[in-house]
Amino acid sequence: MNHSTRFLSILVLSVSIPLGYAHDPKEHAKEAAAAKAGPDCAAMKDMDHSKMDPNDPVMKAMMAKCGGDHADMDMKGMDHGAAGKPAGGSAEPHDHGSH
Amino acid sequence: MKTLKLLLAAALLAGLGGLGFLYSGWYPMGADVPHNALTYWALETLRERSIARSIRDIEVPPLDDPQMLLAGGADYNDMCAGCHLKPGKASSDISQGLYPQPPNLAMGAAAHGHAHGSGGDDAHGDADASAARQFWIIKHGIKASGMAAFGPTHEDARIWAMVAFLQKLPTLNEVQYQILTARAPGDMGHDAHGAAAETSDAPASDAQDGHSGAHAH
Repeated sequence: MNHSTRFLSILVLSVSIPLGYAHDPKEHAKEAAAAKAGPDCAAMKDMDHSKMDPNDPVMKAMMAKCGGDHADMDMKGMDHGAAGKPAGGSAEPHDHGSH
Repeated sequence: MKTLKLLLAAALLAGLGGLGFLYSGWYPMGADVPHNALTYWALETLRERSIARSIRDIEVPPLDDPQMLLAGGADYNDMCAGCHLKPGKASSDISQGLYPQPPNLAMGAAAHGHAHGSGGDDAHGDADASAARQFWIIKHGIKASGMAAFGPTHEDARIWAMVAFLQKLPTLNEVQYQILTARAPGDMGHDAHGAAAETSDAPASDAQDGHSGAHAH
């Protein structure tokens, strides 16, 4: 390896290594925009309703957040049987009109 | 008597040596140079023993209220996700640059890289112990770690809401996280919550840790 090849290799390495760790400043802009976005309730329609537990606090919170936006969701697909009864002893009605 | 004198002289020398080391400036304080094993063990033991002692009397309220998840999720996204990450994000500029590296709370306690010797499947002990620990850390912060104390600016109930969200966080996927943490239209966000809390007549925090009731904001 002659001197010029060695110099070129070192130069390429010294430039490429820092670039490998740096990231595009636009990523910060994307994250800032995502932070300002409202809840993506439309994405709930694509979820597998058969695996949803209507008594799960996470599911309840999502329903509360999305309010009327999910009114057209097919709630019949939910696994109501697997959920069992809530602590109060009686199953809660899934009255989406009240959201 | 001679042995005692020798021991005293050795202790004096060790003390002077320690002081000399402190003033020498030789210890690397940059966050990009890890502690040596002895310093790391000493600091971690100090931290874990202190936290374990402090959380003994904390009473954990019910944490399964959906409204708590919504309040805590939005606060987590505003204040914590930059360091402690979220589903679909394995690292951030801050999480990579902080030392000690903040745990990835989107992963379970056993998987986020350090154990605390509490036993059981959960590296932080049972669910109540884990919740009490999270509450205490959020409220009081941890010295020289980058973890701020949110107690001076946030009521206990609001911190418990964040704990409720943290308990569910490892189970969330990206869609669930986005919906739970996004501020609804018209919600002015974290700063507005803070301003409201500051102007409220309610006390900023209870006299005793963790003895407030849990309510959603």
